[in-house]
Amino acid sequence: MNKLLLFYTRCRYVFLSAVRIYVFGVALFLITAIQAMSQNRAVSGTVKDSGGEGIPGASVLIKGTTTGTTTDSNGKFTLSAPDNAVLVVAFVGYEKVEVPVNNQSEINVTLQSSTTELAQVVVVGYGTQRKVDVTGATASVKGEELAKQPVLTATQAIQGKAAGVQIISSGQPGSSPVIRVRGTGTALAGTAALFVVDGVLTDDISNINTADIVSMDVLKDASATAIYGSRGANGVVIITTKKGSAGGIKVNYTTNIGMRSATNLVQMANAQEYANYVSAASGTSVTPGSVSTDWYDQILRNGWYQNHNLSLSGGSDKSTYFLSMGYFTDEGIVIDNKYKRFNIRSNTDFTLSDKVKVGVVSSYTNANTRDVNLGSAYNNAYRAAPTIAAMENGKYGNTSVYQNVGNPILDIKNNNQRDIDNRLQGSAYLEFKPVRSLTFRSSIGGDLLSKNERVYNYQFNNDTSTFINPGGNQRNPNSNLNIISTRSFRWVWDNTLTFSQSFDKHNLTVLVGTTAEQYTMDWLSAFRKDVPADPSLWYINTGNANTSTNDGGGDKWARNSYLGRVNYNYNDRYLLTATVRADGSSRFPSSNRWALFPSVGAGWVISGENFMQTQQIFETLKLRASWGRVGNDRIPSDAFTVTVTPNLAYPYGGGIATPGSAITQIKDPNLKWEVTEEFDLGLDFALLKGRLTGEIGYYNKKSKDLLINVKVPSVTGDADGVVLTNAASIQNVGLEVALNWRGNITEEITYRVGGNLTLNNNKVIGLNGGQPILDGGIGGNQIYTTRTDNDQPVGSFYLLNVVGVFQNQGEIDNYKNSKGTIIQSSASPGDFKYQDTNDDGKIDDNDRVFAGSYQPKAYFGINGSLSYKGFDLSADIYGNVGNKVYNGKKAFRLGVFDNVEADMAYSRWTPANGSQTEPAANGGNLPASTYFLESGSFIRLNNVTLGYNLPATLTQKVKVASVRVFITAQNLYTYKKFSGFTPELPGDPTKAGIELNAYPTTRTIAGGLSVNF
Amino acid sequence: MKHTLIVISISLILFGIFTSCSKEFLDVPVQGQGTTKTDPALAQNLVTGVYNSLLAGEAFGGDGGDTHGISFIAATNIMSDDADKGSTPSDQSALNDIDNFTISPTNTFVAALWNGYYTGISKANQALVALSTASLTDVTKNKLIGEVRFIRGYYYFNLVRLFGKVPKVLRVPKDAQDANTDPEFQTRASVDTIYNVIIQDLQFAANNLPLRSNASVGHVDKGAAQTLLAKVYMYRKEWQKVFDLTQEVISSGQYDLVADYSTIWRQIGDNSIESVFEIQTGQFNNSDYGIQGYSVWQGPRVGGKGGWTDLGFGFGTPSANLVNAYEANDVRKASTIIVIDNSGQHKGTVLFDGFRIPSADSVQNLYYNYKAYHSENSSIETFNGNRDRKQKNVHLLRYAEVLLMNAEAANELGQSNTATTLLNRIRKRAGLQDTNASSQTDVRDAIWKERRFELAMEHDRFFDLVRQGRAAQVMQAAGKNFVAGKNELLPVPSLQIALSGGQLDQNNGY
Repeated sequence: MNKLLLFYTRCRYVFLSAVRIYVFGVALFLITAIQAMSQNRAVSGTVKDSGGEGIPGASVLIKGTTTGTTTDSNGKFTLSAPDNAVLVVAFVGYEKVEVPVNNQSEINVTLQSSTTELAQVVVVGYGTQRKVDVTGATASVKGEELAKQPVLTATQAIQGKAAGVQIISSGQPGSSPVIRVRGTGTALAGTAALFVVDGVLTDDISNINTADIVSMDVLKDASATAIYGSRGANGVVIITTKKGSAGGIKVNYTTNIGMRSATNLVQMANAQEYANYVSAASGTSVTPGSVSTDWYDQILRNGWYQNHNLSLSGGSDKSTYFLSMGYFTDEGIVIDNKYKRFNIRSNTDFTLSDKVKVGVVSSYTNANTRDVNLGSAYNNAYRAAPTIAAMENGKYGNTSVYQNVGNPILDIKNNNQRDIDNRLQGSAYLEFKPVRSLTFRSSIGGDLLSKNERVYNYQFNNDTSTFINPGGNQRNPNSNLNIISTRSFRWVWDNTLTFSQSFDKHNLTVLVGTTAEQYTMDWLSAFRKDVPADPSLWYINTGNANTSTNDGGGDKWARNSYLGRVNYNYNDRYLLTATVRADGSSRFPSSNRWALFPSVGAGWVISGENFMQTQQIFETLKLRASWGRVGNDRIPSDAFTVTVTPNLAYPYGGGIATPGSAITQIKDPNLKWEVTEEFDLGLDFALLKGRLTGEIGYYNKKSKDLLINVKVPSVTGDADGVVLTNAASIQNVGLEVALNWRGNITEEITYRVGGNLTLNNNKVIGLNGGQPILDGGIGGNQIYTTRTDNDQPVGSFYLLNVVGVFQNQGEIDNYKNSKGTIIQSSASPGDFKYQDTNDDGKIDDNDRVFAGSYQPKAYFGINGSLSYKGFDLSADIYGNVGNKVYNGKKAFRLGVFDNVEADMAYSRWTPANGSQTEPAANGGNLPASTYFLESGSFIRLNNVTLGYNLPATLTQKVKVASVRVFITAQNLYTYKKFSGFTPELPGDPTKAGIELNAYPTTRTIAGGLSVNF
Repeated sequence: MKHTLIVISISLILFGIFTSCSKEFLDVPVQGQGTTKTDPALAQNLVTGVYNSLLAGEAFGGDGGDTHGISFIAATNIMSDDADKGSTPSDQSALNDIDNFTISPTNTFVAALWNGYYTGISKANQALVALSTASLTDVTKNKLIGEVRFIRGYYYFNLVRLFGKVPKVLRVPKDAQDANTDPEFQTRASVDTIYNVIIQDLQFAANNLPLRSNASVGHVDKGAAQTLLAKVYMYRKEWQKVFDLTQEVISSGQYDLVADYSTIWRQIGDNSIESVFEIQTGQFNNSDYGIQGYSVWQGPRVGGKGGWTDLGFGFGTPSANLVNAYEANDVRKASTIIVIDNSGQHKGTVLFDGFRIPSADSVQNLYYNYKAYHSENSSIETFNGNRDRKQKNVHLLRYAEVLLMNAEAANELGQSNTATTLLNRIRKRAGLQDTNASSQTDVRDAIWKERRFELAMEHDRFFDLVRQGRAAQVMQAAGKNFVAGKNELLPVPSLQIALSGGQLDQNNGY
């Protein structure tokens, strides 16, 4: 024991743990023997950091030689050097310094913390590491970067900020964007990355106030994510919220207020254009009349948005605290829509003794959404005839009697939907360090969500009390009220033991742990008709009891895991990380319940080698490689159990029906884990004194036994026609490059330019013996539009190929296959000429061809900033290229009286213009073809922010530490080829990239203020 | 060192706790959903679930498909010369395609029928599995099996008449792999094979079901099984069997004609003495519970000047061809067709419940199907406000057809006199004189004609024309674009062909 204690006293510990993370990464540096090298002058001194603390283990070399030493536990060194020598003093995480000896015998050096990314501490699963020690691929985005953007969730704010991370965000308010890390490697709704908020695992972070976030760390490759095993296949995003620090009370108030407006709207035909087109299409003359309604204009507006945050932080050496309060309101761009969020957070830490620490992070969020029927309102706004008046004297234009399309304004006004979410999320930990090298940590996290949805549908009839003229099918003879109450609770219990020790130049950290997690949910729904229209009576008891119905259900699942990780670092040059996680999930049958997810990663800090000390170019250079396996279990809890659907009743002999039941779903009793195996190679570097930093990465991801909802023939009797099973294998191979340059033009003008680019190639490499997967049906006779098949990207569009437009009857008669059969004998001039791919003399599904997919070939982000004195200006650009999107809303056109896009009204084929690309005026209902397929490439100016920090001399007069004002613009400009609203179309990968409900995207202009006291 | 040991032991204990209890921890039963093991009355409940499939009417790709909703109405009435698509000209162009024989294999209504019948068949197969192991008396078990096999046989009968060759599916697929690979699910069996399945199912039902008087109201009984089996044999032209079976139904003494034809399709006519097999409706979950969409799709629709709250979407309207074909004084015409007042005198049309439909300038179409009309006046017929599932029983087999089948079989067997006696019984109720047909050919024609009016808008006409081998002749005469050798059958849905990897073959001409 004494020996051990002695050993410890010779050691000096450097804690690199950042704020409240599960495991403290410990770096330990040992004294090495001092080598007296020559007969020259003996030089001694201390290497210190900017805080005056000695830095142990720093290298002190004589420039141009391999001669040198390292500092001792107090940062002291002694060596012998020629009088004219130059000493190169370096330590990882600090700027390298060169000092001429100049006959001095004592040289004290102060190293400045390096600002390069490699030196930063990054959060990894169940711990932190210096970026330089990480063997996996990770990306980190700072909280400040996120907070300045006027967005609801932080996910949206990291778009374009990290290589290999694709954010697909629809324009729908309150919706969470989809994150794809390194291509689409999984096909279900569970494609979203896993979020870990202060250790609590979650799929939804819309409750997290962006202003409370310190950093978001994206774990990209298997070496980094394998510690999350089954949850890691789609990448892991670790969110760390703010903590207090010792010192006086710090108060911060931040606000931004702005205006949202619709952008990239599709121009629809006006009344005259519509009348011309529909007259030509239907053969009956339509006259435009006096009104010309722009339906999008009728349902859209400019909406205000505001965000206020107040935080308080501080502490002593025994305890720290961070308290915050946020209030966010967003009107959105659609009439009646509104979102309000109020949240409070309290993060505290207590040091009970030098061995015991405890802490709690917690947040409460109340979100209130006034929802509108966006789907039907947008869809109907696209289809409704412009010749019908929107409203006159408080009465609605009757579009449904004219063309069977609901009046879009009434779609919104005929109901009142309100959702209230109350969410309590937090975790508490206990950390115990019996001896310095050993840390035991236990943490329990919980996430309680209570959701209350209230939908009231007003009573109205299709008569002249509601409409300008009566009739049609937009009516609701009885008012009704539906209240749905959902409660869910999830807990996670993590226990980890970390051993960290250094022996000579060997640095070793070993982590072992267990985690257990359980989720329970139940919901209850009540419904009654004839509830009065007064909002104060919108409670179930006021309705007609004879119409009461109710429903309910629940869910429960559990996971249990064992994990281990070894980090080994030899002399800060050679790095090895090995992890293993055994995961058990209740969502798989007991025979396939457990799976093992190992990974191994190696790194070589080339810049740490002696031979690199003589060069001036690279400050850091690191090569890393890793291999690992991760999984995905995000499938419904009932996926492998054959269940019986109740309440399929039959009223024998009339009267009250007898309840019956049926087995309507085929289940796969042998469901197993979806496993992704990934190989990763990367090079991280910092050049020119850290001015240029960057990384280059290559990855090869193979996802096997993908869990997919496979369409099965109707003869199997599966009611929804899809069965969840392990159906395919997908490969993603890609290259990522990220470069950042910072420099200054003059002393006062500094700037940063960064960019990242990801090239990805996605393809299906196996179908597990099954059929290709058909998906992307949009109704009408476009029953499917995509086919997931071998050697094609997942969800590839599979369509008839339009080769032209028939100009005259002669062309139709002459369009024959090799046997002389007229291929489209029933066509008329102005109809599309489709490719008879199989040369069988007719056009049918067998003539479809692969026509590209939604998977982009590349995506990129560019960001830059410039600062001059108190001013700073920054801009982000994001884009992707090489993918396709399907104009589903145009393809869905089923009725001859549906409106058309203005462009179609003008470019339609006529015998005179002889168009080869646009058909003659038609009533829609066309087959799925390449006509509806368009380029998905786009580039967008995502955010521009101009800020100004008031001079301290000014602020101190009013006893304010700092004041910053800024203006910001989100989604300022998009360049796209797609004629629809947006090419960013989240969706299940087997049917992604289809624009059906056409949400206009939102532009935001906002101004803000941040004050620190 | 002591501390180290403590921590290690704590950790080991924690590991131990989890290792020992994780088996149970991860054994989470599915919440809120029963399994085949949790329901002691599973078999009986599954049988009711099979009956439930009779009410399916999801025409646009929804779960469960369509057995008797608008897709069924389209493929039987609208496709025939008795009815037109109706509604507005542009509404539901895929129904125009069915009306005009321009149907493509991507037609959503055709796909819904395929899906609906096979979903029903699958429910039947599931119920049969559960019944085979259920602890019930043999009599009860065989009765339940008989009911299920009747419905399965009926669905195959519709499938074979709509599509010709179809896959023969008599078992439950084990999983998706099985469903996607076994040729049984991927290829079509011959028409003869399918008819054999139907005959075996119906024969079992006929042998094991009780007579109507011993059966619960609304359940399939022996008479229903015998009648449907007779009808199947009629399509196979096995006239002796048709005759014997219908004779047995007649002599069972369980059935008779109701006096007033107009009551058959009203709620007062539900499960009448004439009813042999009808789809039941009632209430469930505090709402109406009938065939999805059956009434509302066929309800009179506002048009022109408007000014009234209409009753439905106006599809499946009786054709002028049918309206003009009735003999004068045939009481069945006014009970079958709602005729909109087009006289210019604005009298409107008053229905049996007193509801007044305005005259033609406010209504979309000139004729509507009276047999699909269900009153919204809850003092006349039961109505709880759910238009989509009105309590409209659909009469699939009734005694009048038993008599007509018996007559047709008798005539084919050379007993034309017996045939005309039966025929005149039908004509008498319709307020018509006795037939003057006497030769076998004339009597056959007379019976065929009588079937058209007696069973008008009752989903029989198109199948009947194909059975009689004169579909092309009659349809072309009615001005329809019917191609002989093609349009007798619907196309196999293209998605199903694609899902079979191309193993399902397409019908001729599509």
